[in-house]
Amino acid sequence: MFRVSRVKRAMSLAAIATVFAAGCGSTAVTPSPSPTPVLTAPATGASQVAAASPTLNPAASCGHYTGPAATISYAIWGDTTELANQQKIVDAFMSMNPTIKVNVTVADWDTYWDKLQTSLAGGNAPDVFLMDGPLYPDYQTRNQLLDLTPLITRDGFDTSQLANLGVQDFTASDGHLYGLPRDLSTIALFYNKKMFDAAGISYPDATWNWDKLAQVAGQLTKQVNGQTQWGFYTETTDMENYWSELVWQAGGDIVGADKKTLLIDSDKAAQGIQFLQDLIYKDKVMAQPTPGGTGDLFENGQAAMEADGSWLVPSHIAAGIDFGVAPLPSGPAGQATSVNPSGVVVYKGTKSPDAAWEFVKCYTGPQMQQMVANLKASMPVNKDVLANVYAKSFDGAQTFADALAYAHLKPSFRGYNEFTTALQDELDSNVFNDNSKTAKAALDEVAPQLTKLLGQ
Amino acid sequence: MSIFSLARTGSVLRRARGGASASALERTGRHRGPRDGEWRWALLFLAPTLIGLAVLSAGPIIATLGLSLTSWDMLEPPTFVGIDNYTNLLGDARFLTALRNTFFYTAVSVPLGLILALGLAMAVNQRIRGISWIRTMYFLPLVTSSTAIAIVWLWMYSPTGLFNNLGSVFGMSPQRWIANPTLALPSIIVMSTWQGLPANVIIFLAGLQGIPSEYYDAVSVDGAGRFARFRYVTLPLLTPSIFFTGILALIGAFQVFDQIYVMANPGKPGGATITLVYFIYETGFRNFHMGLASAASWILFLIVAVFTIIYFRTQNRWVHYQ
Repeated sequence: MFRVSRVKRAMSLAAIATVFAAGCGSTAVTPSPSPTPVLTAPATGASQVAAASPTLNPAASCGHYTGPAATISYAIWGDTTELANQQKIVDAFMSMNPTIKVNVTVADWDTYWDKLQTSLAGGNAPDVFLMDGPLYPDYQTRNQLLDLTPLITRDGFDTSQLANLGVQDFTASDGHLYGLPRDLSTIALFYNKKMFDAAGISYPDATWNWDKLAQVAGQLTKQVNGQTQWGFYTETTDMENYWSELVWQAGGDIVGADKKTLLIDSDKAAQGIQFLQDLIYKDKVMAQPTPGGTGDLFENGQAAMEADGSWLVPSHIAAGIDFGVAPLPSGPAGQATSVNPSGVVVYKGTKSPDAAWEFVKCYTGPQMQQMVANLKASMPVNKDVLANVYAKSFDGAQTFADALAYAHLKPSFRGYNEFTTALQDELDSNVFNDNSKTAKAALDEVAPQLTKLLGQ
Repeated sequence: MSIFSLARTGSVLRRARGGASASALERTGRHRGPRDGEWRWALLFLAPTLIGLAVLSAGPIIATLGLSLTSWDMLEPPTFVGIDNYTNLLGDARFLTALRNTFFYTAVSVPLGLILALGLAMAVNQRIRGISWIRTMYFLPLVTSSTAIAIVWLWMYSPTGLFNNLGSVFGMSPQRWIANPTLALPSIIVMSTWQGLPANVIIFLAGLQGIPSEYYDAVSVDGAGRFARFRYVTLPLLTPSIFFTGILALIGAFQVFDQIYVMANPGKPGGATITLVYFIYETGFRNFHMGLASAASWILFLIVAVFTIIYFRTQNRWVHYQ
């Protein structure tokens, strides 16, 4: 009991040590002149060529790096599988750009942000690091990220080859890009084909609405071999999967476009969240959520449908679930889903801005994006690869890709974490884990606090 | 979080030990310190610890006092705000919830942990076959990481987990141990009490084995029964051990973090289980209010200091040294 937080300290000490080691490593790099790659087009007049056809400008694509040789660090969150996946992508980058060496470091989600903030405060952050869409403004507005717009202009890099919502999410209030989207996640409806076949019910499709979801989920909630089979499963602990979609489908919203106006306290927003509470406590087609999680009941073969993210595809496949993917059932105000881009950003204090930019640029290019698509863990941000590789890579991929057309960006503003913690705490305690309040009552309760947070 | 709180644990603990031995010294009159002329060597050997304390503990502690008077997000320069952070905290609902939860946790877990540890120590202080195996089993939690423990307990507390299965045998309806706001903190207290037992048991066991058998012989001659032997020999002679484990448990309870942090993942601890150290961590590292977090850690420091001083003041009334 008295050893509280010793683990934590060991972790942060290790983090500090890693940062120090990484820092020493990068400063020790000898700035030897790099072998100049063969240029296929003169540097002059590049911008005109870029305007006509970006691929003709060598600087706009990957593998034509002419800057100084460098070793850069690239930090990601995730687990060892994710590290192995990213290492393959990084290896591909290094073979295209032999003068740049990239060291990948991984940490779990919470530790990642601890390390990042500590290393930024110490002026020794990774050259390139992964950024979650909603948290981007916290770092961008605090002047920690390198403005990429001058480099984009210099190289004639065409951002219109990237998904519009992804680019929009990383466009700061000054119109500049301080990072580029790396990949995207959207939310759709997974369904277990065997359970539908066994019940003789036709698969979900784009015609489904809330009533249909509740009705079919009711039919599929039953005892099978002495075990409860649930009609529906989703996570309730984050707006992304999937209560924000319900709010939008009901015609509500979370915050205004100015990021200062609270909109979640409207009747329409409450209607969306109420639908989810009803699935649990009124329709009883979904297991009561519990902190620590019940585990993914769909992936465990205990639920017939799951509203959740494209990132679950590899683990659903690995679990041997024969699944299909349908658009989310639409609500009273129509169809909507959520898109959350993660991006690669460059530390403002990097000693190798050119090499770091090269890495960011290459990451969004066709070669590396194709590798992203092959992982099936997220959607490539490159439009061409998304449409022609990812969308054809598994049964249902097209549905995730098409969902971009009606997707809303996950809210993203300075102070997002504090805002969402307060909101989610109220919903978890009183609406989802327990039904001690209606959605409307809970939102009314927490609204003044949220308004105050937005005003800060 | 970690730097501030650990710094405190370290320094207060060292004071606790120093205080206890100083009192022992006064009572027994035995000379235990270095002889004249050996101080230089003593300091030399202590230097690694002293320098570590000064650089890694004292420095950050003083720095947080300064930071607690600023608005600082770690990334932009701090701005001086006077005592605003302290006044804001007193009106911060989440901070007050964390404060209330921490007091509840401490008030329940410390006495519970000490009583159970004492009972267990007496139970394993027997000369029976296989006692070393039994002791090993009791000490296992000591060498298991908090995270691993929390994950196993999370499973035991789950709706279809061990406790509900056991309960159903006795006709108890399934409980939502962690999800229910009323049961959540008590459930976590039960887990961390179990986890904290072995450390206390070891100290109590050492204390028990340090009681000379002559005392027991003497009271037996006077006709004392089992209870009287416990009440008039064991308990008084164990008070130094109780005093020592008590201070460790008290400070540890005020700083509870790991259990809360892991039990609430995925997702975050709700209002029902958030504690002060979690609040400090969340405020500083998640929400970019390092000034506010520093102020909260100073409030925690003052609380721990006040309780420690009160605890030491009571020492003369109930702690008996041989």
